[in-house]
Amino acid sequence: MAMRNAYVDQFPSEARLISAAFWSSFLALAIGGSLGLVQALHRTDYLRFIDSVDYYTVLTAHGVLLAITFTIFFLVGIFTWAVTTSLDRGLEDLRFSWAWYAMMVVGTVLVGVSILGGVVDSIDMQADVLFTFYAPLQAHPAFYVGLVLFVVGTWLAGADWFRTWWAWRGENPDERIPLPTFMTLTTTLFWYLCTLGVALSILVLLLPWSMGIVDSVNPLLSRTLFWYFGHAVVYFWLMPAYMMWYIMLPKLSGGKLFSDPLARVVFVLFLLLSTPTGIHHQYLDPGIAEGYKFIAMTNTMFLLLPSLLTAFTVVASMEHGARQRGGTGYLGWLKALPWRDPVFTGMALAGLMFAAAGFSGMINAGMNINYLVHNTWWIVGHFHLTVGTAVALTFMAAAYWFVPQVTGKQLWNRSLALGQVLLWFVGMTFMSNAMHRSGLFGMPRRTAEPQYQGFNFEPAAGTVGEINAQVALGAALLTIALALFLLNMVMTTIGGESDAIPDNTYAGTLSGPEDAPVVLDNLKLWTAIATVLVVFAYTLPLASIIDAGGLFGPGIEGFQLTIGIDPAIVLESVREVMP
Amino acid sequence: MRISPGALLVVIAVLVPFVVEFRTALSWFGVELSVLESVALAGVLVLGLLVWAMWPQNGGEMGSADSN
Amino acid sequence: MNIHTYEKVWLAAAMVLIVGFIATITYGAVGPGIAMIDDEAGSIDPAEINDDERFAEPGVEHVGGNEYEVTVVAQAWSYSPAEIEVPANSEVTFYVTSRDVTHSFSVVGTNVNTMVIPGQVSEMTVQFDEPGEYGILCNEYCGEYHHTMEGKLNVVPEDEFDLTELSVEAPDEVDAGNETTITANVSNGMQEDLETTATLEIGEQQSERDVTVAGDSTEQVEFTVDTADLGEGDHDWTVTVDDYEESGTLSVVADDGNASADGGDGDA
Ligand code: HEM
Ligand SMILES: [Cu+2]
Ligand SMILES: [Cu+2]
Repeated sequence: MAMRNAYVDQFPSEARLISAAFWSSFLALAIGGSLGLVQALHRTDYLRFIDSVDYYTVLTAHGVLLAITFTIFFLVGIFTWAVTTSLDRGLEDLRFSWAWYAMMVVGTVLVGVSILGGVVDSIDMQADVLFTFYAPLQAHPAFYVGLVLFVVGTWLAGADWFRTWWAWRGENPDERIPLPTFMTLTTTLFWYLCTLGVALSILVLLLPWSMGIVDSVNPLLSRTLFWYFGHAVVYFWLMPAYMMWYIMLPKLSGGKLFSDPLARVVFVLFLLLSTPTGIHHQYLDPGIAEGYKFIAMTNTMFLLLPSLLTAFTVVASMEHGARQRGGTGYLGWLKALPWRDPVFTGMALAGLMFAAAGFSGMINAGMNINYLVHNTWWIVGHFHLTVGTAVALTFMAAAYWFVPQVTGKQLWNRSLALGQVLLWFVGMTFMSNAMHRSGLFGMPRRTAEPQYQGFNFEPAAGTVGEINAQVALGAALLTIALALFLLNMVMTTIGGESDAIPDNTYAGTLSGPEDAPVVLDNLKLWTAIATVLVVFAYTLPLASIIDAGGLFGPGIEGFQLTIGIDPAIVLESVREVMP
Repeated sequence: MRISPGALLVVIAVLVPFVVEFRTALSWFGVELSVLESVALAGVLVLGLLVWAMWPQNGGEMGSADSN
Repeated sequence: MNIHTYEKVWLAAAMVLIVGFIATITYGAVGPGIAMIDDEAGSIDPAEINDDERFAEPGVEHVGGNEYEVTVVAQAWSYSPAEIEVPANSEVTFYVTSRDVTHSFSVVGTNVNTMVIPGQVSEMTVQFDEPGEYGILCNEYCGEYHHTMEGKLNVVPEDEFDLTELSVEAPDEVDAGNETTITANVSNGMQEDLETTATLEIGEQQSERDVTVAGDSTEQVEFTVDTADLGEGDHDWTVTVDDYEESGTLSVVADDGNASADGGDGDA
């Protein structure tokens, strides 16, 4: 393997760390995805082999494992690759790096075990609180501790990337921050800003309360702090996917990134606007004045801008690449793209689905239209397009390139990989379309048996049965796609070393950093402005929530409406207190 | 072949959301395609696509005539 | 910074789109006066719900004209009241709060939808033009049996709607030869007067009284029953006011005899 210049050849120790992060991510995907199938079949009543009361344990695991564990483990892998590759230097101290990785693992295990306690009697814990853990539903303290450890692990990972950059800057004082590192650092900055909210909520409100140190909680306050983080986290998942679209897709298409300066602008906009939008998840919450909701909506709408710019840049870069490869014509150039390459095709289709998700997202963002779809299955359809495809499919496609890079082993089966990304795309089309449609007639999300005694759903078109069939079909295809992905990853990893691994490179640019105003690289400035925007958006709502309900709420105790309560008894006791 | 088998597969996959959404959109105008009709529509489209893809590049003699 | 012409056009179009969205939604939200859920209705201590002026007796109240107020308490895993009836052509303000965890109050297939957060009161005003039947469900996870949490909202034709209540006080038994009284309490929850007729049927006899119940008050209608006309034995009676009726059994026993135990269920 004389001439090979893959990532593993350049940074063998970092490659091991990234491999570990990827495998943690794939494991979460494997478990979480299988649970997704269980949910889809249970809700639609095709196959119910769990008790409906355990559905919520399953759903908690699905949400946490996929939305938090799968995405973020993959992210730390990609960002570590991005920083080391683009700065061309290793991490400062691998022991520190393994420490944050270990912390994330321990956090995940704690969370996982406490969730598992919901269905395994011998574990004396429960965390049937879904991934949003709205108080006063209460989980075992281990759940909250695990979340905090996981988040602190990511903080340290961010510190690691910053350290590496600082060391590089010391040696290259006059150079622009390379684009992949710039993307990593801006993303890390807004991650610090937004996770402060959940960290506070957990450490000050929820953990002491779950341990019985304080005996009351303010539900609206903890909920608002959750969403302070909860919207930014969706951009945290999305940024590595954006990074792939900016620096890998153009290269895979055979060309260069259209504009480095605009890529920087886009990431700066995300740093500024990701956090002061969280209240758009609370349009239907009492206790928050309309004006604050309006501010969140305005910020949200402006967040469309970076995504629209990305759409332009990515498509323009792909066209450039296609024309380099000999493509011609208005749309004819599309034929010249490397559609047989699963890495390219997976990312391109993920981008296409993200465009579709943009439309349903605009509906969600409208304060008034949101009333129709809030907490219906429309929302679930929406975010299976965003995080469940734009992010997940981009990650899977990226893995087909990255895993050979970090292991030195060739992808086991490329055609299977192409089939896999197409199957995911088709499966998600069926599942998500049906979810969106059922949301419009009021089908609720997070419900084990959405079949009611007193009324029937009335679809505007088609039947509930047909929509259910479409969900089940989509879920089955997705699960097959998931299995094929994992198979390919396992076979690749147990295969032998190969000399035929491409060099570790990313896309060049048509218009480079020299065209970008220097101020774009002033991270302190952007962080300061982002902080000010957050202060504007959140100080008053938080103050009025605390003013009305107190920091710890009016004597609101924890509820674990989950462990072995006979509903008849609960209903009985409820009736007793009822007037 | 006018396009590579890989690209053909991609076009067929991308066709799926178009058919599914087309069906959804039609239903807003009161036209409801049954599942069978939708599958048939997709079948016709895929067949057309295959014929187009297989057709010899520069006006050959004849193609398969088994269209619906 | 050097921006490609096409990119400038795209940028401008994107800004127009965004500002356009904000403008239409602002117009949509402020224009026709659709109120959002906000902090107007204030907060509440969940432990005090039973003593709260508004929530102690949840249900439908008439405010005046075509305006109504409906208070609802959500709890795992039901709403009280579970079934709500309001007239068509009305403007109904809902007040909803939770006794325990976060729920939602969502009228299926409409945009009447709110989170119900313990400690907070959700207020929303809805116009009901046409009669119809709607399901209500909870779309926020609230514990193991969340999927069983549902309710019903019936919008009935205006002329079929009232807030009349009837309760009857009647003795179970009376000595033969005596007179007794069956009292119908007719209460009117509407703000306008209620003019109606109360009817008592007992044995073969029937008597009617016209009664006018002022808005938001109760009237007593007394029917005097003479056992001499009935004779000894059990006599079923029914009091009817509009669509409401209540019935029971009156035993007329011989003066010297003992009380029979099966005296009917009297008033409820
Ligand atoms: C095999 C593929 C998948 C299937 C079959 C699937 C299925 C489902 C279903 C049926 C639900 C709705 C549960 C309900 O509302 O009652 C759901 C919720 C959810 N899914 Fe997936 N899913 C899949 C993949 C993913 C992926 C890849 C992600 C993210 C990366 C994801 C994230 C979520 C989240 C965050 C929720 C919401 C959980 C909650 O409401 O608390 N899913 N999924
Ligand atoms: Cu959001
Ligand atoms: Cu519920």
